[in-house]
Amino acid sequence: MLKVTNLEAGYGGSIVLHGVSLEVKDGEAVVLLGPNGHGKTTLLRTISGLIRPSAGRIEFDGKVLSNMSPAEIVAAGVVHIPQGDLPFPELTVLENLLMGAYLPEAWKQRKQKLEQVYELFPVLRERSNQLARTLSGGERRMLALGRGLMSNARLLIVDEPSLGLAPFLIEEVYRKIHDINKKGGLSVLLADENADHIAGFADRVYLLEMGSIVSEGSAEEMLKNEALLAAYLG
Amino acid sequence: MIQEESFSRRSAVAHVAERLKPSAVPWSRPSVVPVVIVLLISLALPWIADLTPFGKFVLHLMILFFLWGIVVEGWNLIMGVSGIFSFAQVALFAVGAWTSGVITQQLGWSPFVAMWFGPVAATVVAVILGLPTLRLRGAYVVLLTLGFQELFRNFTTQGPNFVAGGGYGLRYVPKFPFEGWVGGDKAQFLYYYLALVFFVIATFAIWRIFYSPIGMAFRALRDSEVYAISRGVSPFRYKLFLFGFVAFFTGWAGAFYVHWYGAISPAIMLFGTTINLLAMIVIGGWGSFWGPIAGCAVLTVLPEVMRAVEQYRILLLGIVLALVAIFAPEGLFPLLLRWVRRLLGRKG
Amino acid sequence: MEKLIQAIYGGIVYGSIFGMMALGLTLIWGALRMLNLAHGSLYLVGTYIAWALVTLLKVPMVPALLLAAVGAAVVGFGMQTLFLNRILGKPGWDVGSLIVGVGVGMALDQSILLTFGPRVKQMPPLIPGVYKIGRVVINYNFLVVVAVAVISLVLLSLFLSKSRYGLAIQAVSQQPDAAQLMGIPTRTVFLIVMCISAALAGLAGALLSTVYQVQRESGANAMLMALVVTIFGGLGSVKGTIWAAYLIGLLQSFLMVYLGAGTALPGVFLFMMLMLVIRPSGLFGLGEARRL
Repeated sequence: MLKVTNLEAGYGGSIVLHGVSLEVKDGEAVVLLGPNGHGKTTLLRTISGLIRPSAGRIEFDGKVLSNMSPAEIVAAGVVHIPQGDLPFPELTVLENLLMGAYLPEAWKQRKQKLEQVYELFPVLRERSNQLARTLSGGERRMLALGRGLMSNARLLIVDEPSLGLAPFLIEEVYRKIHDINKKGGLSVLLADENADHIAGFADRVYLLEMGSIVSEGSAEEMLKNEALLAAYLG
Repeated sequence: MIQEESFSRRSAVAHVAERLKPSAVPWSRPSVVPVVIVLLISLALPWIADLTPFGKFVLHLMILFFLWGIVVEGWNLIMGVSGIFSFAQVALFAVGAWTSGVITQQLGWSPFVAMWFGPVAATVVAVILGLPTLRLRGAYVVLLTLGFQELFRNFTTQGPNFVAGGGYGLRYVPKFPFEGWVGGDKAQFLYYYLALVFFVIATFAIWRIFYSPIGMAFRALRDSEVYAISRGVSPFRYKLFLFGFVAFFTGWAGAFYVHWYGAISPAIMLFGTTINLLAMIVIGGWGSFWGPIAGCAVLTVLPEVMRAVEQYRILLLGIVLALVAIFAPEGLFPLLLRWVRRLLGRKG
Repeated sequence: MEKLIQAIYGGIVYGSIFGMMALGLTLIWGALRMLNLAHGSLYLVGTYIAWALVTLLKVPMVPALLLAAVGAAVVGFGMQTLFLNRILGKPGWDVGSLIVGVGVGMALDQSILLTFGPRVKQMPPLIPGVYKIGRVVINYNFLVVVAVAVISLVLLSLFLSKSRYGLAIQAVSQQPDAAQLMGIPTRTVFLIVMCISAALAGLAGALLSTVYQVQRESGANAMLMALVVTIFGGLGSVKGTIWAAYLIGLLQSFLMVYLGAGTALPGVFLFMMLMLVIRPSGLFGLGEARRL
C-alpha cells in the first residue's frame, strides 16, 4: 500500500533521513520505533508532503506521492495526525471535526462520518460545542484522532499518540487506534519512542536510528528481542 | 586571582573573536587609509565644488545627505539589527527640530545652546514611547509608532500657536549665526562642516554599537528572541536603550535641520517622508552597515536630478521597493559588492 | 439631548466604516501574519473606480459600488500572486511583507494621482435628502452607507463562522500546519483572504466617497483609523474588531461633538496607547501569547 524507498530529506541544508525504506501493507499496523530526534517526525512529515524529499520515492497504491501537495496527498487517502495534536484552538470541537472533512469527497459524507467519530469517541459528542482550547490533554488527543478520521483516510499516520498523557490514557488511546485499525480496516503507520504499549497492537516494527532503519521485523520477534530494544531505546 | 581574571577576559575575547571574522570587529583593525581619504575629500569638497557653477547645489545636497543619513543609520540600527519596526523616526526628528526651534524663538537662546535640547527631548519621548510598546510584538510597534507620528503631526498642525504657527509649523526660526561670522556664500561652508561633524560623530557612534558585542546581542535578538532570552540578553532593556540612543541622534539631526533651513512644516511627517527613508534602508540593504548609507546617498540625489519626472519616480520607487523586498531581501548594496568582488576575482 | 443623538449617530456611521476597513486588515493579519500597509491604497482604488464609473461613465450607483469592490479585489489578487506568493513561508516574511505592502501602496497611490490628477472630486450621494429630529439632521445617504456596511459585516461574519470555506480560513489562521494536514490548500486560502479584504476596503472607499470628498489623503486616514481599531480589537480577532470599530467610532464622534473636531484624533490615539499599556492583547485578543 505505502512504499517508501531510499528516502532522503531534511531541513534547510542538513539532511535528517539517510535513505529510509519501509512499507505498510493493506490493513497493517506498522510501528516506527526510535529515540527522540532521530527522524521519526521528519519521516512522517515527508510522507504527508510537508517536507520535500531531496531523494528517494514515496508510493501509495501505485501513485507517486513525492511530488504532490499535502492537499493532494490527503485526497489520495493518506492522513497525518500530527504530534502535539495541533487542534484549531478557537474553533469548537464540532468545527474542528468538520475541518477534518474539508476535501469535497469527505465533505459530502460528513454527517455519517461525524456519527462514526462520535460513536468511537463519545466524549467528543459531549464537548461538541466547546472551544478546542478548553479541552483536557486526553480529550485533545481524541479530537485529533477524530479529526483525522473525518477524512477519507485509508492510511492513518499517527505521530507519538502517547506524548504527554498519563499511562491509563495512553492505553485507551492505543486501544482506540487498535479498533480503528482492526475493526475499521484502516492501515496505520505509527511512530513512538518506547515499546511499552505496542504489544498486541503492532503487526510489524521498524527501528529508526540516526535517520536510518537499523532493524525491522514482525512485532513478536522484535519485542522478544529485549537486548535490541534496550540497545536502541534505552 | 588577578591572573585568573585576565585569563577569563582573554578567553572571552577569544570566544568573541572566534565567532567573528576579523572584518566584523573593524576597530581592532581600523582600515585607516580609506577613512582618511574619505575624510579629506569631505573636507576639501566645498572648495572643490565652489569652482563649479553648481557648487551651492552640491553643498545643499550634501547637507541633506548628512542629515537624512543620520536618521537612516539610526533607523537601520534599530530596525535592521534589533528588529524594532519604528515608524516614528521622522516624528523623533521633528521632536528635535521643534524643541530646539521653539526654545530659540520663545526664550531667545542661541541655536548653539538650544540644539542640545532637541536630542534630549527626542530621547525622552522615545523612552516614554518605548516603555509600553517595545515589550509588544513587532506589529504593535509599527501601529503605535505610526500612531505617535500622526499624533505629533496633529499637534504641530493644530496645537498652540507657538508650536503650530497657524498650521504652517515653525517659520523664521533663528539660524546658526554663520552669516554674521563669515558672510554670504562662505556661510554655506560652515553649515556643511557642522553637518559633516554631526554626521561623522553619529556614524562613528552607531558604527561602534553596530559592531560591538552589544550589537552582536542585538543581532541575536533579531534572529531568535527565544535564544537571546535563554542566553540572558534582556530584549526589552536593550531595545529601550537602543531606541533612546538612536532617538538622540535623530533629534540632533532635526535640531540642525531647523536652524539650517530656518523653518519646518508639519508636512514633513506625512507618510511620504517615512517611506522615502524606508526605501533608502531597504534598497541599500537593511541590516548591513554601509548599504543604507549608500541608499541614502542615491535617494537624496535622485529626486533632485529627476525633478522633471518626479511623479514617475515615486511610482517607480514603490515598485522597486516591493521587488527588492522579494528578489534581493538583503538589499542592492550588498548584492553590488558581491558582484564587484566576483568581477575582481575574489571570493565573496 | 440633540448633541447626544448626534454623537451616537455619528459614532454608528464611523463605526460601520471603520469596521469594514479594520476587518480586512485583521483577516490578513490572522491568516498571513502580514500587516498590510497597502490597505489604504486599496481603499483609494475603490474610491476612484466608483467615482470614475458614476461621474464619467454614468453607471448607476449599485453596480458602481460592486465594481469598485471587484476592482480592489483584482488589485489585491495581483499583489498576492505577483509579489507576496514569492516570499510566502520563507524567512524574513515579517519585514518582507511589510515592505511589499508599503511599496505596492506607494505605487498604487501614485498611479491614481497620475491618472486622476491632484484635484479634489465630488461624488453624488447614494440617495439625496435628509430627515430631521429636532435640530439633528439625519442624512439618508449616511443611513444607506451604514446599512450597506452592516450588511456586509454580517454576511462576512456568517461566512466565516458557518461556511466550509470560512471555517477553513479560520483554521488556516489558527493552525496552518494542521490545516495543511487536513487537505486545506493554504495558498488558495491566503489568496481568497486577500481578495475579500481588498474587496472590503474597496467597498468602504466607494461608500465613503459619497460622504466625504474624493481625495488622495483619505486612503491613508482611513487606514490609520483601521489600524487603531485592529489594535483595540486584538489583531486577528473578528469579533473584537467589530466591537472595537463601534467603540472607536463612538469615541471619535463624542469627542468631535463635545470637545471639537481637533480633539478626535489625538483623543483616539491616546486612548489606544493607554489601552495597550493596560491590556496589550486587545479587547478580545486571542489566547495566544501576544507579548514577545
